[in-house]
Amino acid sequence: MQSTDRRRLTATLIRCCVIAAVAGFSLAAQAQPAGISPDAQRLLKASTDFLAKQQRFTADTRITLEIVLKSGQKIEFNHTARQSVQRPNKLRAERTGDLVNQVFVYDGKTLTLHNPQDKVYAQVAAPDTLEGMLDFARTKLDIVAPASDLLYKDAYDILMDGVTDGFVVGKAVIEGVRCDHLAFRAPHVDLQVWVQEGAQPLPRRFLITTRDLDNAPRFGVTVTQWNLKPTFNAQTFAFTPSPGTRQVEFLPR
Amino acid sequence: MARNTVLKGFVVATALPLLHLAEVAPDAPLGFTLLRDAQAVVGAPLTPVSAAGVARRTTRRVVAAETAATSATAQQQAATAQQQAATAQQQAATAQQQAATAQQQAAAARPPGAPAAGAVVSALPAGCRPEVRSGVEYQNCGGVYYRSAFQGNNLVYVVQ
Repeated sequence: MQSTDRRRLTATLIRCCVIAAVAGFSLAAQAQPAGISPDAQRLLKASTDFLAKQQRFTADTRITLEIVLKSGQKIEFNHTARQSVQRPNKLRAERTGDLVNQVFVYDGKTLTLHNPQDKVYAQVAAPDTLEGMLDFARTKLDIVAPASDLLYKDAYDILMDGVTDGFVVGKAVIEGVRCDHLAFRAPHVDLQVWVQEGAQPLPRRFLITTRDLDNAPRFGVTVTQWNLKPTFNAQTFAFTPSPGTRQVEFLPR
Repeated sequence: MARNTVLKGFVVATALPLLHLAEVAPDAPLGFTLLRDAQAVVGAPLTPVSAAGVARRTTRRVVAAETAATSATAQQQAATAQQQAATAQQQAATAQQQAATAQQQAAAARPPGAPAAGAVVSALPAGCRPEVRSGVEYQNCGGVYYRSAFQGNNLVYVVQ
């Protein structure tokens, strides 16, 4: 009797799931015209332009990275980070998480990478603008500078490069904030962006799905808090090694 | 190839550093030793790599699940695997290192299973102690010396 009930319940659940899946499918199918919808473009551009205009801000983020084992099993790693930005040439990013604790400091002249737990840091002279520094770090040192997505003034063009399709999924709520949910598709990669509604169209979440890797691992970033009027002090963009911290080199790329 | 045995959990991951990524460091949880990826972390959408670029630069992180036998030998194999995952240039270097390793092992000039000089590993073996030579700090791990360095965002150890 009990097993019959369970079977019935299972059957019901399956039916519900199928209905939900079909419903979801048809919704997606209807909402996904070919090409990039002007609304999706406009909302994304408004967001990147708004961010480009902010001279000083901090962003607290929660970052999720999926790794796929050869067996197909997915493992998730989590980090939190805080980025402090002062245009045109100052940046501090601190991240803490499963895999690494690292501080990245750029004062307009020098780029410092610091692993507090390992008590090591490395420094190198860097170009005198944020964008120049980011390019330098990436191409010469193979360092992915935190927050770079928030810093490039042509972020929209960078984002949309290669994108073939895009549409507005609808309204959503991220961290309690109402957003427009955008979905884009480029070769190999799907990108979703959630942009805050209203006068401050801040990006609230990014989710990237790498479709052509097994099990399509995802990388997600949620901005848990934006502060467009931060208080910085003399130490925010400075690096002073604590006693016992030693300097090491960057290996050439 | 023997070194493949250490790649028990060969992993391909996307890694986009959107706001910066999870560059992986030693002492990762779950007993994973994350080796350095082939160049090119998956870009985040807004990194200098576009969404399309993300795919082009898809990172293939090589994760070696730590086997029961994570020993100095495994470290050396890991280093080799890591190199292998890097650029073609580095692969060439790996070949040289393998040759060098073979020579060294044959000569027994280094502790058994010691990695080749110049090899880059993502984690130190157990039982290391710091030692300063000519003002530079090294880690002495059973007679094999390592020097810390940053390779990209990753803290690594270069065998001396």
